[in-house]
Amino acid sequence: MSKVPVSFEWLSGCSGCEMSTVDLHDRLLEVLDEIELVRIPILMDEKDYPKAALGIVTGALRTDHDVHAAHEMRKSCDKILAFGVCAVYGGPQGAAYAHGQGELEEAVFKKNPTTRTNFIPDQGVPKILPEGVRPIDSEIEVDLYLPGCPPHPYYIAQAIRSVVSGKVPEFGAHNVCFHCRRSMQHSEVVALRRSHDGPVAGDTCFMSQGILCMGSVTLDRCLAPCPQHGTACTGCAGPSEHVILEPQRDIRTEIAERMSRMTRIKRDDIIREIEKRSKTYYAYAMASPVFRKKPTFLLRRWIEQGEP
Amino acid sequence: MTQRVVIPHVSRIEGHAQITIDLDDNGQVVDARLHVTQLRGFEKFTEGRPFYEMPSITARICGICPVSHLLASVKACDMIMAVQVPEPAYKLRELLHYAQFVQSHALSFFHLSAPDLVLGMDSDPASRNVFGLAEKYPDLAKDGIALRRIGQHTIELLAGQRVHPSWTVPGGVNKALSADTRDEILKDIPQALAIARRALTTCKVLCENFPEEIKTFSSLPTLYAGLSNDREELKIYDGQLRFRRPDGTLAAVLNNPKDYADLIGEAALSDSYLKAPFFKPAGYPDGIYRVGPLARLNAAKSYGTPAADAELEEFRQFFGVMPQSAFLNHYARLIEIVWSLENMQRLLDDPIILDKNVRAHAEVNQSEGVGIIEAPRGILIHHYKVNESGAITWANLIVATGHNNLAMNYGVKQVAQHFIRDGQVSEGVLNRVCAVIRAYDPCLSCSTHANGRPAVQIDIRRSDGSLLKSLNTSDIP
Repeated sequence: MSKVPVSFEWLSGCSGCEMSTVDLHDRLLEVLDEIELVRIPILMDEKDYPKAALGIVTGALRTDHDVHAAHEMRKSCDKILAFGVCAVYGGPQGAAYAHGQGELEEAVFKKNPTTRTNFIPDQGVPKILPEGVRPIDSEIEVDLYLPGCPPHPYYIAQAIRSVVSGKVPEFGAHNVCFHCRRSMQHSEVVALRRSHDGPVAGDTCFMSQGILCMGSVTLDRCLAPCPQHGTACTGCAGPSEHVILEPQRDIRTEIAERMSRMTRIKRDDIIREIEKRSKTYYAYAMASPVFRKKPTFLLRRWIEQGEP
Repeated sequence: MTQRVVIPHVSRIEGHAQITIDLDDNGQVVDARLHVTQLRGFEKFTEGRPFYEMPSITARICGICPVSHLLASVKACDMIMAVQVPEPAYKLRELLHYAQFVQSHALSFFHLSAPDLVLGMDSDPASRNVFGLAEKYPDLAKDGIALRRIGQHTIELLAGQRVHPSWTVPGGVNKALSADTRDEILKDIPQALAIARRALTTCKVLCENFPEEIKTFSSLPTLYAGLSNDREELKIYDGQLRFRRPDGTLAAVLNNPKDYADLIGEAALSDSYLKAPFFKPAGYPDGIYRVGPLARLNAAKSYGTPAADAELEEFRQFFGVMPQSAFLNHYARLIEIVWSLENMQRLLDDPIILDKNVRAHAEVNQSEGVGIIEAPRGILIHHYKVNESGAITWANLIVATGHNNLAMNYGVKQVAQHFIRDGQVSEGVLNRVCAVIRAYDPCLSCSTHANGRPAVQIDIRRSDGSLLKSLNTSDIP
């Protein structure tokens, strides 16, 4: 059987998805029995866009070069996989959505305390997109999505295998709680607390302890490492299937309903806290229409009201 | 007619960059420039967020050395809380950091640069990569994969996740180390040391094959900056920042991290999203300095561990006490792997590493915090200001690769001038121009946390600047 040609391209991101792929370690060589990498800039010198059956795109659209590269990938590949939370939802840099045009460049090049110059580079560098950051499917058609920051190698191996074999992958659309070993319990907690405030019980659900955790509204593409290591989920793989598919469902109402049933904290207090710190709770996907198009999503207003 | 050669995307580095080379009428190189083409904007969009979220959000600046950002960030946060981290937590953070050095340096040497060094700068670009390496020298490639796995596995065992882990928090770490996990990490160390030693032997032989590269890879006198303790032994998690002149004399010592802006200024370049830091007392651009494995070694006196110091003695016998060539970063990087593994062993042998007191809790007690650490590729500075409720009002990040910006530009030009003669530009020559960048193991995702992306392209322009032809390196015979 001939190998399936696979091409990678990275747009604006952090290379973490590439690292997670390299983290297949020995299994990377096994996967290579089935696929042939024809382009992967972090490991290979191929700079053109050779024809491939599968194109894997990481990173978000941030510059005009990113837009160009996304189209080159679409043209050269039969199927496109949006890989990682940046490609799927815009990722953490999508927080540019919370700021006006030009503010980021100003902060870096003009108002920066250690920078003695006062201009923004404009020669030989790609232009920053005026609308900020976009997920790749705002520009090209995407066939498959694998969010995660980055996706765990377990999911990467399965995703690639399933494309190669043409079979549906074995993993489902669970949320992060699925792999979390903490147990949900009713509690008498009356107020929200921050995990930063003091010790956290090791085996009880964060929400039972009054700590906001995004696990129940976040798709599991990580195997839930954070809650197992004492940290509440920050939602880095983007919203759960439930939130994606139902326009009236949102992460703040979902969490508030769940938590107010488990504890004695008022539902509205929870909603208000999430709105007040919306940059935190929508950190990874605010640039995506999944949220932007929800009629109740008023992030810019919440930030105005909540920020110091 | 002048010509411009553009390498549109520098491959086998972390991030996006482009190189342009300008030739005069006689085909001689008049200038060569590195353009970093990515910009993201973390300084701005962290504003308003609680300070204790900074570690997890700034880790997303970089997928290769997220641990560096985590640690610089938690140190800045410790300062905002005005707490001293419990000793076991301090040591666990150090342990995590050394593991990261092992994995990051293994990636740089085996996965990214070994194809140039072992297969040759002029070898077929289609197989000049880690897969080509695995075919021709399977043992070497397997060593690289195994070493990186050991580093990443240690990070995963400690912190739960290999990329962007969440275990280090302001005031310490989130979870104590168990004896079982300690033993699991310890059992891999002998294998890792054996691999690092084999790689060093290979590297010493390889150095003899690259006399011209050693002569031209940013071989220039610059200042060197790195962290070290009061015995001037190299440190990566804590220490004083020392700047040393090329003649070996000390130029400055930073005792209080908060005063970093007295020593470091930044200048924007019109053709790159990567800013160029400089040593302030010497001004711009005379204050050119370098960071990273070779710079650290030049800025300090020794490593402070037996095996690494024995390697250092041999290294200095060959190349002198203050060698200048960025090519030697490869060699220094491998010594640092040995040194990191020695330190991991030392930390794990200390019974306090299993102590359960791993976190101090406190509110905001100071309005400002600065964290300085050594990332695998050089010094990293996180500086935050917060309001009374602990929300970030301002952030400044100066990232490792940036410090090398001026020197990388110099190196690109030096290599281009040396290897391009009479307008003859071969693929192998362009690969060397990229290889000088690789020697710095730059992380452009990191360094352009504020900016944007890396890659290499070649444009040929008429003297009026209009584009005559744009080439990919693959177009060049």
